[in-house]
Amino acid sequence: MPDTVQSHIALPVDVSAPRSRGADTARTLVRAGSLLAFVAVFVAFAVAAPGFLTAGNLANVVGQVAVIGVLALGMTLVVVGGGNDVVRGGIDLSVANTLGLCAAVYATVLGDGWGDGAALAATAVTGLLVGAVNAVSVVWLGILPLLATLAAMNICAGLELVLTHNTVVAASSPLLDVLAGEFPAGVPVLGEVLLGVAVLLAVVLHLTPAGLRLYAVGGHREAARAAGLPVAAFVAASYLGSGLCASVASVLSVALLSGSTTGSGDMLLAVVVTALLGVVFSRRLVATIPGTLLSALFIGLLINGFQLLNISSYWVNGVQGVLILLVVAATSMLRPHAR
Amino acid sequence: MTTQSPSGASPLALEMRDLVKDFAGVRALDHANLRVGRGSVHGLIGQNGAGKSTLIKLLAGIHAPDAGTIAVEGAVQSRLTPHRAEELGIHFIHQDRLLVPTFTVAESLFLGAEPRRFGLPWLNGAAMRRRAAAILRETFGVDLPAGALVGELSAAQQQLVQISRALLNRPKILVFDEPTAALVRREVDSLFGVIGRLRAQGITIVYISHYLHEIGEICDAVTVLRNGVDVGTVDPRTTPTADLVSMMVARDIHDMFPRRQRTAGPPVLSVTGLRAAGAFEDVSLTVRRGEIVGMTGLVGSGAKDVLRCVFGLQRPDAGRIEIDGAALRGRSPSAAVGGGLALVPEDRRGHGVALSLSVRENTTIASLDRFARGPLIDRSAERAEVDRLIRELAIKTPGREAAVRNLSGGNQQKVVLAKWLSRQSSLYLLDEPTVGVDVGAKVEIYRLIDELAGKGAGILVLSADLLELLGLCDRILVMYRGRIVHDGPAAATDSDSLLMQATGAGVAVHA
Amino acid sequence: MRVKISSRYALVLALVAVFAFFSLTTTTFLTPGNLQSILVNNFALLAVVSMGMTLAIAAGGIDLSVGTAIDIASLIFVSAVAAHVAIPLALLGALAGGLLVGAFNAALIAWLRITPFLATLGTLFIGQSVQQLSTSGGQPIYLITGHVPPAFTFIGHGTVLGIPFALIVVAASAAVFVTILGRSLFGRRVEALGAQPGVAWYSGLRVSRDTAWVYVLSGLVCAVAGIVLSCTVRAYVPLSGNAYLLNAIGATFLGTTFSKVGRPNVPGTLLGVLLLNIVANGLLLIGWNFYWQQVGTGVLIFLVLVVSFGGRRQHSARAA
Repeated sequence: MPDTVQSHIALPVDVSAPRSRGADTARTLVRAGSLLAFVAVFVAFAVAAPGFLTAGNLANVVGQVAVIGVLALGMTLVVVGGGNDVVRGGIDLSVANTLGLCAAVYATVLGDGWGDGAALAATAVTGLLVGAVNAVSVVWLGILPLLATLAAMNICAGLELVLTHNTVVAASSPLLDVLAGEFPAGVPVLGEVLLGVAVLLAVVLHLTPAGLRLYAVGGHREAARAAGLPVAAFVAASYLGSGLCASVASVLSVALLSGSTTGSGDMLLAVVVTALLGVVFSRRLVATIPGTLLSALFIGLLINGFQLLNISSYWVNGVQGVLILLVVAATSMLRPHAR
Repeated sequence: MTTQSPSGASPLALEMRDLVKDFAGVRALDHANLRVGRGSVHGLIGQNGAGKSTLIKLLAGIHAPDAGTIAVEGAVQSRLTPHRAEELGIHFIHQDRLLVPTFTVAESLFLGAEPRRFGLPWLNGAAMRRRAAAILRETFGVDLPAGALVGELSAAQQQLVQISRALLNRPKILVFDEPTAALVRREVDSLFGVIGRLRAQGITIVYISHYLHEIGEICDAVTVLRNGVDVGTVDPRTTPTADLVSMMVARDIHDMFPRRQRTAGPPVLSVTGLRAAGAFEDVSLTVRRGEIVGMTGLVGSGAKDVLRCVFGLQRPDAGRIEIDGAALRGRSPSAAVGGGLALVPEDRRGHGVALSLSVRENTTIASLDRFARGPLIDRSAERAEVDRLIRELAIKTPGREAAVRNLSGGNQQKVVLAKWLSRQSSLYLLDEPTVGVDVGAKVEIYRLIDELAGKGAGILVLSADLLELLGLCDRILVMYRGRIVHDGPAAATDSDSLLMQATGAGVAVHA
Repeated sequence: MRVKISSRYALVLALVAVFAFFSLTTTTFLTPGNLQSILVNNFALLAVVSMGMTLAIAAGGIDLSVGTAIDIASLIFVSAVAAHVAIPLALLGALAGGLLVGAFNAALIAWLRITPFLATLGTLFIGQSVQQLSTSGGQPIYLITGHVPPAFTFIGHGTVLGIPFALIVVAASAAVFVTILGRSLFGRRVEALGAQPGVAWYSGLRVSRDTAWVYVLSGLVCAVAGIVLSCTVRAYVPLSGNAYLLNAIGATFLGTTFSKVGRPNVPGTLLGVLLLNIVANGLLLIGWNFYWQQVGTGVLIFLVLVVSFGGRRQHSARAA
């Protein structure tokens, strides 16, 4: 990226007035508009789709988006720490296959007779290890996050195949039964876990100094350094966090499917979309935890509504694609820029 | 080496003595000294490459000197690190704002030193905003909404945030690096008011700037750096600007500029009634072939916008632009270039040259059609032309395949000129052409510009360096708040009157 | 351990090392049949796709929708052939399909100024929907044996002077792309775009037009790959194009290590594709569990990246 140059005359616009109320209003409109869209879609489905507005159905939706939701929450950490430029900044393409690997580990450890405790530990370690590899590649080896996590993704996919021989490894255990069930009645535990993870990460990211500093690292790396922040440590931590979220999501996935899965890699794009779409729900048009959560719910509601209306689910991908494009077009124009 | 003492004998807040620093065989500082009196506002001036930034980096603890000492308030510091410099109370207001654009004012203020709640690391947004607003009000008398996003603020407001952030640490020494580069006059005055208030609180200020007249307004003393050594410390209030410049460049100004023996031909650029809402209005100017026209004005004057509109980077709302009598069609740089225009942009590294590409690739990028054999490039023709231009412009490069990133600023600028020479453009728009260029290269570039005009091109130069314009140009235009307030021969004016017009006629200026 | 390889030749050395290793450790690697199998079955298609990707990345962008162009072209081609449309017309239709995908990307990126990663991601998603809807959820279209036109068979399995046609397609595409990127005016402008788009704009280059052409060309060359793919498997299998995406990206970046200045280049990309395929093939032959292959390939890519980025960092540190 080019350095800035010392110069006498800097910007051509009259800098004595703040850069228009215009941009601020526009952003508020985008945010309001997105929330409105969310509500509008909700209402439309409530009216048109039979069975949509029941507690059971809605709770179901939350449960179904749990896996992708937790993955997206982890990816949000990386995106925040890397800045909003997807290609040069932070992204973790390995999350989906890390989930696959962790799910395989979990199912295998259970299958070998160890209990939930050991299985959970093994899964957590796996996720953290992948996160650590990503962290080292990006921070210390200086490899572009896009490429580093791509390589990690391939390795995870391979290791998963080694463990599972491309078959589904069935798993069952007390913990899995609890997760797949409802508690209290009608409320899927999976959904509760999703919300729990969201609350935890929201607190850390939005209510602690550490979270603010992570945003600084992603928002303007030089400014963060000038403020004395250990930039490398923060970026590394974001990848570790993403890996750990993949572990958590993998356990949820095993519960949902009663075993490991072979197609985990396919989830990647949905996760990326979820994390990126979330920015429209934030005032500053940056990635946030509530935004990602809302985005996951939005997509879940869309899919659910389509199902209930008997609209082919094949439209969903297309809709997601159009949504990304709309969001990107809007946000790139309106996000506050560095001078 | 004269050393007049600043206002009275005062204990030194900072004494940098006999500093030597080499970088990869190049001597950046050669026994330089800087003595800053406590509680004073001390200016530091010098050409780019004179050693100012190295000196400041040593003070900031980013590098260690190879020889010499740094003493803060009398205590010699043997191993200065950024952390230690902060502990000693030395803070920097950088030219690059170094603020996160998506942060609020409050968050920017407290980043790294966030207030805790009940001793726990828990952010309280509302409390932070209240405290931030209070601080801004008390320190600057400014009502800045603490929840506003930094990216939305004006440059002046961002600077206030920067300064407040530094003030939270109770600094003893504040170093301002080119603070007014993005400010309009009114904001500069407020900044000076702020600096006055800081000085009254006992803070010592080091003030680095290219704007020599500002040094005269605000500083008690100024040290001039040249070629890595301090050549003098004088009282700027009683020293004429021309003397300061002579100290900076060690030669008589007039030697730097070539003699003019050109006759102006027909107009190559003709702008009539140009208007861009919010930037400038009713701008009409002409540049003839063989003529060098200078344009100047402070930020906000509209001068830069006019340049950008002519080159197609910005859309004007009304008006006509003609090249050699024909109206310029299309509003984009490619249309402008097609019409015979050339732009040497201010941001050389971002817009002028592609650092990772070679000299050859940079030179021919705007004129590839000349080397076309069908859809392919005629490599040998390209090589021949590039070699010719390297010779003609005396570009110092290891070879035509060297990456431009490895060239010095001055030689990079020559590559930009070569790019347009390869196209044989009719009108050259030069935006701050010698910023970041060492003195030797400056003289060469002035000569090149003169030669270009001599060969029949028209030149329009935008520069904040009034002496440069006076030395180089045949005619000078001054813009103020969107209008042309002066248009006349360079020989009939001087820097003081240009300055008065640029800052709004009638504003008193300290000599 | 001090690794004293010039980072530029990491790729070539890896290739040689791997080739030698497998030649020595198995008897079947170095046989003509095996080598042919590597080159035709795996290498050809990935090579063609990777060239489009190389162009996109060289221009400073990326094309995540390569699979979409492959699939759409394949869909049109096979559907047309199954409906007894004349082969030339079917070919044109397929190319038009790829062109359409490329043009869509071009509009998003050059006109709406959407960043390439996200624009092509959007195209990818929309393309998935289109395919699912057109095929009722992913049903392949098979050509009935006996009703396969001879041209079809030739493209997929024929040979010219003993060289499989697919390889000739690769050679031809390579020739075209090497010329474009290395010697043409357009290629030079593309390089400038990738190196520093600001400079391209300020030098009067028509950035939008050149960017648009990059994505159109990528779509077109992927269409070619799609045609060859359909002929090889005698079917259109929905969503199969995506399998090439990640390897195309990997091969392109592996290929940048081959350039003196770290820029995407076609010869490097081809070496990258070759490396990926040889490793996969070799590991299979020496009896590695099929599933360890992917791990092996992933680790290899990783190592090449490490050496390449490490070498580059050292170099820039010295120049600083």
